[in-house]
Amino acid sequence: MSAAARPVVNVYGEKEVVASLPLPAVFKAPIRPDIVRAVYTNVAKNKRQAYAVSVKAGHQTSAESWGTGRAVARIPRVGGGGTHRSGQAAFGNMCRGGRMFAPTKVWRRWHVRTNVNQKRFAVASALAASAVPSLVLARGHRIERIAEVPLVIADDAESLVKTKAAVTLLRAIKAYDDVKKVVASKKLRAGKGKLRNRRHTQRRGPLVVYGNDNGIVRAFRNIPGVELANVRHLNLLQLAPGGHLGRFCIWTQSAFAALDSVYADKSNYELPQHIVNVADLHRLINSDEIQSVLKAAGQAKTKRPFTQKKNPLKNAGIMKRLNPYAKVTKAQGAKAGKKAAPKKHVGASAAFVAELKSL
Amino acid sequence: MQHDDTIWAVINNNFCSYKLKTVTQNFCRNDYNVTGLCNRQSCPLANSRYATIREVDGVSYLYMKTVERAHTPAKLWERVKLSKNYTTALEQIDAELQFWPGHLKHRCKQRLTKITQYLLRMRKLKLKTNQTKLVPISKKIDRRELRREAKAEAAARLDKAIAAELVERLKAGSYDDVILNARESVWKKVLESDKVEVEEDQSESEDDEAEEYIEDEDEDEEMAEREMVEMSDFESDMEDLMDDDSDDDGASDDGRDEDESDEESDDSDDDDDEGEEEPVRPPSKKRAAPAPSKKAASKKRRGGKGGRGHVEVEYEHVGPARAMETSW
Repeated sequence: MSAAARPVVNVYGEKEVVASLPLPAVFKAPIRPDIVRAVYTNVAKNKRQAYAVSVKAGHQTSAESWGTGRAVARIPRVGGGGTHRSGQAAFGNMCRGGRMFAPTKVWRRWHVRTNVNQKRFAVASALAASAVPSLVLARGHRIERIAEVPLVIADDAESLVKTKAAVTLLRAIKAYDDVKKVVASKKLRAGKGKLRNRRHTQRRGPLVVYGNDNGIVRAFRNIPGVELANVRHLNLLQLAPGGHLGRFCIWTQSAFAALDSVYADKSNYELPQHIVNVADLHRLINSDEIQSVLKAAGQAKTKRPFTQKKNPLKNAGIMKRLNPYAKVTKAQGAKAGKKAAPKKHVGASAAFVAELKSL
Repeated sequence: MQHDDTIWAVINNNFCSYKLKTVTQNFCRNDYNVTGLCNRQSCPLANSRYATIREVDGVSYLYMKTVERAHTPAKLWERVKLSKNYTTALEQIDAELQFWPGHLKHRCKQRLTKITQYLLRMRKLKLKTNQTKLVPISKKIDRRELRREAKAEAAARLDKAIAAELVERLKAGSYDDVILNARESVWKKVLESDKVEVEEDQSESEDDEAEEYIEDEDEDEEMAEREMVEMSDFESDMEDLMDDDSDDDGASDDGRDEDESDEESDDSDDDDDEGEEEPVRPPSKKRAAPAPSKKAASKKRRGGKGGRGHVEVEYEHVGPARAMETSW
């Protein structure tokens, strides 16, 4: 599949197909989950707020060690008297009311910088993954009923103003199942986040990408789970939430058309190339180019030639297989042996036999 | 085809929402999976050319998907209805998946076999045992519903609704031929007042209405009651003494009932009413309408037993008498 042969994507109006656009090149970018995950973990750190324990925590005592000889541990103890606190241990991370081990500091490196090229690679990868229905399904979006992936809608959506109209539009393009999933998933967060203004959790719904905001943001933003993004500022945190590829994206026609130019306008930037153009191993192996230069296939199951060991010293055939020259050696040895060793007479001597006969 | 391996790499190593991991094995929760296991050959997402058997209401279908439709999720799966005959179904599978890889064909047939077997078992079970459906008790829900029922009943205010409905029916004239013992004046008053003045305080009025029906139907009993009351009701005697009204009928509730019946039967034809109401002379005292109660009550008795229209109205001290009665 060469990049030059770009399929055409249909633009959906209210009831039927309104137009068609060629697929932008981004959607053919290599899908690299490893890069996306690495970049995601970095970029996700950039919105963090500092936290730390108080600098003074655990040190607001003038405790001193009692030293040895008092039958107590040598940990610094609070001086003075008249209160429970006097004589109690202080300062150590093991002490009650002591400072923690390695008190957290605000100058921890909260934000991580990532190379621009890597960030762009990740975004391109995420976009490419959003065009693969299997990945979008695997991520958990309910897209079984939508007409096409990537899903592009007509530009009238950009001038929508009422949320009600937005919901009708989503229903018409069968994307509302995803919103229903979000609504059904709203639960109380497990853990202390409940008390820290992060009370509820819910799934993510579709991401609507627009070219020009003529009201679309306000129309869609109150629908649970739906997020908006301008084509020119695509966010990896939205395209691959959690570092998982395959967010369900709904494009407006102008956004889809603008994608190519967005990437063209980036100075000194070329979309990432595939390392291997044809990733499908099966297809490669069975292609004509490769099959034509292969040897003929052997038997599927080769017969084992011999499974029983036979003694070469007794079995001439085996000896021949092992050492074909053995025959020759043996023959030579036989000839030489014949002259050297006369045949021994076995049995009684001639004199005795004569004597026997004479009896 | 192009993406299959990449897809599988992503799904298997990263995240798949259909994957179900257990200690020994991985399962796939995707509806279209032939085997139910999560592996490279069985993943419907990672194989662009795939076939399954699915059963809906006892009918098996063969689903197929091909690369050409991979980008249109709505039309991805092509469905073929399989015959209910097992052998024919197998042949159908063979025909449809003729040029498909052998292992997929095999898996489809295996799945069809399993499906057929369990359907068979289901049918046998149905014949065998009496299929008593076990319904679990959900205490939480039952408790909740009970409480809600009680609240709803209280909120519905059935008595008021019933009263309103009855008056509506009266106005509509459905009781024209039934109620005959009403006074026209009383009748009209009720009709003019648009709402039914059912006062909570005076619960007797509701009782009256209820009682009235009983009386309408069973005149005899009413007669009997009255008689008994007359004899045993000392209060009424007292009242007689007090009010200087020689009233032997101390049963003021009877009188009240008659009032109600008066009012109600006003709706009926004037002719009928007049004919029957003639014997009723004394002014009736109404409970519902705030008409001035007249102390003077005549001794007018109901003439005969049979006449439904005969109403005796005897009132005395309505308020105190009633109070005394209730304080028994």
